[in-house]
Amino acid sequence: MGNLVRVALAGEGGQGVQAAAEILAEAAYNEGKQAIYIPNFGLEQRGGVSVAFIQVSDRRIGAPKFHKGDVVVALSHRAVERTHQYSGPDTVYVYDTSFQLSPEDLPPEAARVIGIPAVEKAKELSTRVFNIVVMGVVVGLTEMVSYEATRKALEHKLGYKFEKTPELRELNFRALDTGIEMAREALKGGEVIHA
Amino acid sequence: MEKPITGTMKAFMTGNEIVAWAALAAQADIMFGYPITPQNEIMHYWTRLAPKYKREFLQTEDEISAGFTVCGAVQAGRKAFTATAGPGNVLMQEPFGMAEAMRLPIVAVIQQRGGPSSGTVVYSQQEVTLTTYGGNGEGHRIVYSTSTHQEIFDYVIKAFNTAWKYRFPTFVMGDGYQAKMREPLEIYDPEERGLAIEPARPLVGLPGSIGVDREPAHLCNIYSLEEELYEVVLELDRAYQEIAPQVVEYEEKMCDDAEIIVLSHGVVSRAADDAVKTLREKGINAGYFRHITLRPFPAQQLRDAIKKSGARKILVAESSYGQLMRLVRQEIYGETVEICGLLKPGVGIVDHDIFDKVKELL
Repeated sequence: MGNLVRVALAGEGGQGVQAAAEILAEAAYNEGKQAIYIPNFGLEQRGGVSVAFIQVSDRRIGAPKFHKGDVVVALSHRAVERTHQYSGPDTVYVYDTSFQLSPEDLPPEAARVIGIPAVEKAKELSTRVFNIVVMGVVVGLTEMVSYEATRKALEHKLGYKFEKTPELRELNFRALDTGIEMAREALKGGEVIHA
Repeated sequence: MEKPITGTMKAFMTGNEIVAWAALAAQADIMFGYPITPQNEIMHYWTRLAPKYKREFLQTEDEISAGFTVCGAVQAGRKAFTATAGPGNVLMQEPFGMAEAMRLPIVAVIQQRGGPSSGTVVYSQQEVTLTTYGGNGEGHRIVYSTSTHQEIFDYVIKAFNTAWKYRFPTFVMGDGYQAKMREPLEIYDPEERGLAIEPARPLVGLPGSIGVDREPAHLCNIYSLEEELYEVVLELDRAYQEIAPQVVEYEEKMCDDAEIIVLSHGVVSRAADDAVKTLREKGINAGYFRHITLRPFPAQQLRDAIKKSGARKILVAESSYGQLMRLVRQEIYGETVEICGLLKPGVGIVDHDIFDKVKELL
């Protein structure tokens, strides 16, 4: 289907998953790809589980939502519960290792389940760039957008903040690199847990 | 005055943002609105853009007021619009009814959310009945249902033209998926493409003396006599039926030899289109029919598609529990084709859902 990649990104409201998804979609669009991003959220202004659905393809994309993702990322305990339904037999399921999960918490179906220490790694940099670390993980796992396009989209989205606080630029780019590196490590098999 | 768009520009926007740009391109003067998800960003973008181009915005105290202020503004000759969803659409039925009664060229964008009541905040196709036949009238309205971001831009512009050309309240119906998602499209200045913009004109307070130079502009929404109202409603219907063939729009693909026709509207049509293509690749003769206008309904066109294909079945796919299916049943009454449904109130439908259902039905 024209190299279609489907990603669901889920976290607590305020963790920045929607912003990360928006940057990814913009990067894909700037590379001349078709991209659809839709947010899903409840009534809460903060604190509910927030899910972003992103699809990138070389061809026109049909339905804006999907039942099963190629990559599903859950960043909180509640987000894991909420995203079971999006994980199918071909899904790479990613969760953050900062919270305790028992085997029965994991989705019943997945091609592989990967735990990544995104929260921990983000703390080493700054908790403000947590979502950018996660975005890097998605880029590393899927290669749905190029590294260059991601950097450009990040610059476009946060440029106004970088102008005021120049050190933020370096911090965000480091966060992106950290995420990509983590994904590569995970794909090597180092942190893979089979479901 | 500076034009908001010159030439053609590539854009990657949310559906809500596109509505604001399209309203500018259609030369809308003013938006009246009251916040409700998922249409809020139409107001946000409009309030950001409007002052740059000397357009206006008023947030009213509720949706009833937003609807009536639109009714007032258009009578004064201002191109006015509003946008709402769900319970807001319910409240606006009273002013929408007035617009029907007085043939007011109002434009309203409806971004459907889940129901009943406050339901969910993002998606459904459950406002079909309400938008087509809501209110205490006979549904003398024009309702477009879009399926892509390009169509949101094209049909919002068209809605203003249709409203002012034919003087019937006109609706562009989307949903929260279309409202919130970002997709590539081209935005353009319609006049540069040779697309004329229908001018707004005052409907009351016209120049000249009544009885000497002109007939009175008597816009009325209440009558003393039952017989008087009866005549008015019949005249409304006559006028509506007269313009309907010029307004009705639909999209049909691969129906010539279809055994089964997949029928859908709005965002679900994207999944239907993909599903029908896949079915064809697998050697199954499926056809695709989409209602672009839900009012007036492309009934004859659908009957023709059924006839020429000899289809045995129709599958209505919609994110509601049969609101489109009911319209279909009433509009093609007498046809012997079996009408089946893939009815999923308030949730999205993907191509696999339709594919699987068709396989099950054949």
